[in-house]
Amino acid sequence: MKPILSIASTTIGEAIRRKVLLIILLIGVLFLFVAPGLGVLSARSETTVLRGMMLGIIQLTSAVIAIVLTVYMIPNEIERRTIYTILSKPVTRWQFLVGKYLGAIGALGMMMALMSSIMILVFWRLQSADVSQLADLAKAPVMYFIQMCLLASVAIFFSTFVSPLVNFFLAGGMYLLGSLFSPFFQTLSENPNTAQVAKIFALVVNTILPNFSNYNVQNPIINPNQTIQNEGAYYLQVTIYGLFYIGILLVGGILIFDRREV
Amino acid sequence: MAAAIKTTKLTKSYKSRTAGRINVVDQLDLHVEEGEIFGFLGPNGAGKTTTIKMLLGIIYPTNGEGYVLGKEIGDMEVHKQIAYLPERPYYYEHMTGPEILKFYGSLFGISDKAKFDALLERVNLHRDTTKTISQYSKGMQQRIGLAQSLINDPRLLFLDEPTGGLDPIAHREIRDLILSFRDEGRTVFISSHELSEVELICDRVAIINRGVIERQGKLTELLKGGRIEITVDGVSEQFLRDMKISDANVRSLPNGFLLDVPEENDPNSVIDAVRNSKGSIISVVPRRKRLEDLFVETVTSKPRVTADGGAQ
Repeated sequence: MKPILSIASTTIGEAIRRKVLLIILLIGVLFLFVAPGLGVLSARSETTVLRGMMLGIIQLTSAVIAIVLTVYMIPNEIERRTIYTILSKPVTRWQFLVGKYLGAIGALGMMMALMSSIMILVFWRLQSADVSQLADLAKAPVMYFIQMCLLASVAIFFSTFVSPLVNFFLAGGMYLLGSLFSPFFQTLSENPNTAQVAKIFALVVNTILPNFSNYNVQNPIINPNQTIQNEGAYYLQVTIYGLFYIGILLVGGILIFDRREV
Repeated sequence: MAAAIKTTKLTKSYKSRTAGRINVVDQLDLHVEEGEIFGFLGPNGAGKTTTIKMLLGIIYPTNGEGYVLGKEIGDMEVHKQIAYLPERPYYYEHMTGPEILKFYGSLFGISDKAKFDALLERVNLHRDTTKTISQYSKGMQQRIGLAQSLINDPRLLFLDEPTGGLDPIAHREIRDLILSFRDEGRTVFISSHELSEVELICDRVAIINRGVIERQGKLTELLKGGRIEITVDGVSEQFLRDMKISDANVRSLPNGFLLDVPEENDPNSVIDAVRNSKGSIISVVPRRKRLEDLFVETVTSKPRVTADGGAQ
């Protein structure tokens, strides 16, 4: 366990110093500060718009950070030969990969925590939101974090056998598909009027593709008229779903990385 | 003496789009004894780093077998007793020297600060503890690399081009450190192009060329066969003819003749013969065979043969 934690903490230390990530984070933070000024421009309720905008900024910034952070992680270690000094020590490849992954989500968590804190601060100071409203608001970033952990595991999986550029598009593409089209494929596979071939295709895609849309819980938070029935059970269910997928992707990544010539 | 490294027909091959299957390392039989400094030499692309990576278990052999410290390569128990310093190593740039040692120490479960301090002192970095790796010179980076490689008190060190790109002072510092490793009873396996350096410190060497070990043995034995240049004057024509018969090269000089005599021929008998023929000796210069001569002689012009049998 010690090597995993050491690799993870070193990865965090490196990630929070990477200029490209800090620039993306800075842009996200700037937008969060600017967002209250833009909310008044909308015809809809200022609070509703501000909530949607801020959660959108956090989600988008986090997704970009998650992909940029993880697609280069393994290739960089190989290119810079740091992996050789580490793997020549009593460290197995699975420990290395898991350590890198935990470091990535640790750094991601810190950056998301910063953005979420700014959002909470803005609502507390400018919107005079009470504790229950703030707690309600905080649910979305927590779910986004699980979503980003899932996205990071997709990128880490691909990084064990494809180049960073290909990985960028693969992981990004899966995120977009899983976020936007998962409900579509689900409906298609369950619709009795769908042709059998299309049904099977939709079922396969829907099973293989992680359903990132499970974590897009912003609608009930933005619009109080929408609710999630049995909210606690839903959050628990999608968390287990996410952990299951993360586990599968990490095991797959380990199996490939274990056989890879580095 | 026990073998620190022993390989039998160790082979690594890759598929090439143009040349079929290429043996990057071909049936390597290597024997490194414990407590010696072993030089692993070869031109660029000869298979040196591939061999080291196989011995470290970082890449997998296609064929053959290898043992490091008596255990099969890749055994995690062995990793506790070995160290590796790659060519042009890179360390996490935001870290300081003590942080690097703390990190690598943690991979062994070692958190002994006194040990880290002693290692920094040993590699003469104890005054630069607040500098980050990005502020280190090449020589300092190489020294912190050696310090991290000593963290687990290894029995066997793999050093890949340890003095590559360093200035003469850093060269000397690294060389002294490597020699001190042998004094401590450690085995050092050095892959290098710096032949003069290798000649100074290695007990035995192997020369690999295009994946095949061409020479392997004690330096003193491999470098046998030097020559002695004797400049003489006033010797007879008959004497010169006799010399040519006895495997000596004879060249005419403005001030006499140069007799280039193999080291194994007794130079005293040549000197006596010069005197007997009423000649005079102007100079006697031994020309020792250098590792560079042996290296060039070994690696020049040999066609590459692919695993499929084709030549390139």
